[in-house]
Amino acid sequence: MAQATAFYRTGLIMNASRFSGLLLVAPAVLFIAGLFVYPLSYSFIDAFTVAGDAGTRFSLANFVLAFELYGDDIVFTVLIVGLSAVLIASGAILIGGYITLGTNRFLVNAVRILYRWPLFIPFIVAAQCMRTFLAKNGLMNGVLIEMGMLTPLETTGFLDWRGIVITFVWKQLPFVALLVTGAMASLDRAGIEAARDLGAGRLRILWQIVVPQVMPTLIVALVLSIVTMMSVLSVPVMISGHSPTMMTVQMAFRVNAYHDYGTANALGVISYLITGLVAWIYLRRGVAGKGGEK
Amino acid sequence: MTQASFWQNQAQAPKQTLAARIGDLAGGGVVGALAVGFCILLLAIAIFGPLTNLLLWTVAEQWYFPHTFPARYGFDFWARVFHPDGNAFVSLRYSLVIAVLTVIFCLSLAIPAGYALARLALPARALILLVFLVPQAFPNIPVHINIARVFYQLDLHGTVGAVVLVHTLHGMVYAVWIATAAFGAVDKTLEEAARDIGAGPIRTFFTITLPSAMPGIIASAIFVFLESLDEFTGTYFVGAPEITTLPMLMFRAGMEGNYQVASITALVLLVPSVLFMIVVERFLRADVLAAVGR
Amino acid sequence: MKFKTLGFATTLAMALSGHAQAETILNVATAGSENMVEYVNQYLAPKFRELHPDVTVRVIGTGPGDAGSNAIMERLSAQKDAGASADIDVAVVHEKPVGKMVTDGLLAKYAASADTASLVSSDKAKNALGVDVDGYVMPMFQSQTAWAYHPALVSNPPKSYAELGDWVKENPGVFGYNGIRNGMSGVSFVNGWMYAFTGEADKMMKGPFDPSLVGSEKWNAALADLKEFNKNVTFTPGNAGTLDMLNRGEIGIGPVWVDMFYSWQADGRVNPEIKLMLPEPGMPGQPMHYVIPETSKQRDLAVDFIELATSPAVQAHGIVEQFNWYPGIDAKYLESELSADVWDKLFADITPEDLATKSLSFPLVGYFDAILTSYERDVE
Repeated sequence: MAQATAFYRTGLIMNASRFSGLLLVAPAVLFIAGLFVYPLSYSFIDAFTVAGDAGTRFSLANFVLAFELYGDDIVFTVLIVGLSAVLIASGAILIGGYITLGTNRFLVNAVRILYRWPLFIPFIVAAQCMRTFLAKNGLMNGVLIEMGMLTPLETTGFLDWRGIVITFVWKQLPFVALLVTGAMASLDRAGIEAARDLGAGRLRILWQIVVPQVMPTLIVALVLSIVTMMSVLSVPVMISGHSPTMMTVQMAFRVNAYHDYGTANALGVISYLITGLVAWIYLRRGVAGKGGEK
Repeated sequence: MTQASFWQNQAQAPKQTLAARIGDLAGGGVVGALAVGFCILLLAIAIFGPLTNLLLWTVAEQWYFPHTFPARYGFDFWARVFHPDGNAFVSLRYSLVIAVLTVIFCLSLAIPAGYALARLALPARALILLVFLVPQAFPNIPVHINIARVFYQLDLHGTVGAVVLVHTLHGMVYAVWIATAAFGAVDKTLEEAARDIGAGPIRTFFTITLPSAMPGIIASAIFVFLESLDEFTGTYFVGAPEITTLPMLMFRAGMEGNYQVASITALVLLVPSVLFMIVVERFLRADVLAAVGR
Repeated sequence: MKFKTLGFATTLAMALSGHAQAETILNVATAGSENMVEYVNQYLAPKFRELHPDVTVRVIGTGPGDAGSNAIMERLSAQKDAGASADIDVAVVHEKPVGKMVTDGLLAKYAASADTASLVSSDKAKNALGVDVDGYVMPMFQSQTAWAYHPALVSNPPKSYAELGDWVKENPGVFGYNGIRNGMSGVSFVNGWMYAFTGEADKMMKGPFDPSLVGSEKWNAALADLKEFNKNVTFTPGNAGTLDMLNRGEIGIGPVWVDMFYSWQADGRVNPEIKLMLPEPGMPGQPMHYVIPETSKQRDLAVDFIELATSPAVQAHGIVEQFNWYPGIDAKYLESELSADVWDKLFADITPEDLATKSLSFPLVGYFDAILTSYERDVE
């Protein structure tokens, strides 16, 4: 009987809390809906329609053209972002792992201070830094030649897909590393110490104990990074413009050169589906992760 | 299964992998420290090389082949950027005013939402968190054009308010996600104690919960501030020509290859970024970082 | 400075910006590079203030290339759709978008009311890529594409498109251009290629548009050659990127905008050894036009501003002397204003005869878009 009352009261509180919760979240959600989802719906309409003599009508022509002309670029975008994400994840785990497990306090502090310099540097500034740095006769190769480590004939420029990946990793690694390092620092040290006492190597501890536990944070950070990289225009434009290139460049090109919002928006929808897939991974993890907690 | 017992189970049959062995070799002794030190040196070069390049460009008056370094240094381009008839000061003031207002507006929406997402039972919680990611995920140019059309109808176009609204849109994901993590990390027993001695829910929130979450809130404010400071396309579509910000100056200079002007503007934009980079860990505790986006 | 109501935000912004007093503002929007903004801000605006002490000129640069002009068009058409009057009083735009702006009814037919209209006799002020724009535009300056080369790396540059094809096979990677996606110097190079190898330059520039030329045998042959040609060139990131790679010695020759080249040179940003040349049979150039939006609230002031900007004195000392750009009004009206030195410097690498025979127009919009599409489909 007492149990039943308690259960009943909890239910009431749950309902009240649910209502006030929705009330508190509502302004923020409505803001996004009004200022983003509503204008976004026009983009979808543009993507799925063509203007003809008999007015605007539903059509997939924009998508056909998008795949026909820019199929390579779509694949290229996925590969660039995928490769960058893999490199960022590995780098973040190594940096976080060293800060968490490193024994030489001087070196650990050096890494801690170093890694996050590019954290808040805007993409456009990063691209600006990189394009004269990575060029064939840019500062990097110039210094290597001065130091006698390269001859002028051996130099190569990195202003192509490699330049884009390097810039993405340079810019996004600190953000992911910051979140991952934070997650690692809040782990229970007991498990790590126990493993260490049993003689496990640091890479093994990192891989088998630490990484699995920070995986949720790593995924969140990567999702944020991936969607950001998908929508950056300045980096591919400033580093390398030749085909194949990233979808954002082609979108801007359709609008600028042909005034063609239909195909540009179709590319936008495709890009959105790709990011949506990534977000779905996040959602699944979110649902699975929340099950036990609340 | 706790981590310690997990490890003990594993340790029943210790299998030293190759990676673990290399890790142990590199981890111990002088050789290991030197190897790690070398890696850190490479990291430092990778991070500061491009930044040095940027710094050199701000004072390079002549820099062309076959010179590895600038042929002539000077501050002529600084005088041009900060010319009394130039746009730099006006843009800087707009950038700062807009960033401050964006932080205020963004947090006023994000604090209630973050509290609800962290503390109250909400249906489809992961989905709501995802909603805030959406503006970051979709390629923005078509959406910004449509927002501009709506703003023209509302006679909002070209005002500080319009730009603040668009910047808020993009700052929201950081504000809400970090605020949620910050509230989630507040010790519940403190709140319960306050309720036990008779404090109402609102008083508890303002005397216990909010102050405890404050470092995380400040961190989210930093992210929003910097996001606003760096935003370009939205400002252009809803703000120009009345509103010009530093990124707009920098983008134009960068796109047309005026590296000196672009680098000087970038350097001005870098000052707050670097300051915040240094202090960010003071506000973002590890446990809050670990909970971002969860 | 006029702010619309947004309560607290506006009040704070006004308090901080300190521009609350009423004054007349002439809004000038200019596409093109940042030095166009500087030109209006630091050269034209002070001169205009002498004539109209109560007017403040406010300038906004909308970015380089057609994208910058399209941004102005977007803005005007959004304002037209919303039934609002234009918040731009004078705009400086490229040749290609101007036709669409005229046919969409975004621009005012103002030239007849400007005293300087009689100083312009160029066909380019009457027809923009096949669209009749007579009366709607006044040219600010003429812009031209050409090949820039570094004599230390390329002592004997190819003189024509025809020579270039073989030349790149012997010197792979030394020629660089920016494709079609990253600025108009690359587009112009491709257009010049099509003029040279289809032999239909006249038809493509003057019209009428003949759809059967697109996809014809010679059209496709020119594109196939271009695809072959592209295997031996270096791709650069943008108009500025081509100059930049020339500067760093990564390429030896490539297409650039003459005005951009000279602006960089005036800044000391380009290697003084680099030279210009116009290849046979020629390359496109285009004017930048002054236009006035149909719904500008300051029509008379705007016309005054353009009159000043197209006056012989301003064209001579601002456009030619300061920036080394080709004047918008007829050159004969400038001779009395300029010294022989300035004149010679302007025509040092590219002579007036070169310009007369090898300065071409861009193709009609129909061919222009067809060339881009064919390039995307068949060359890349």
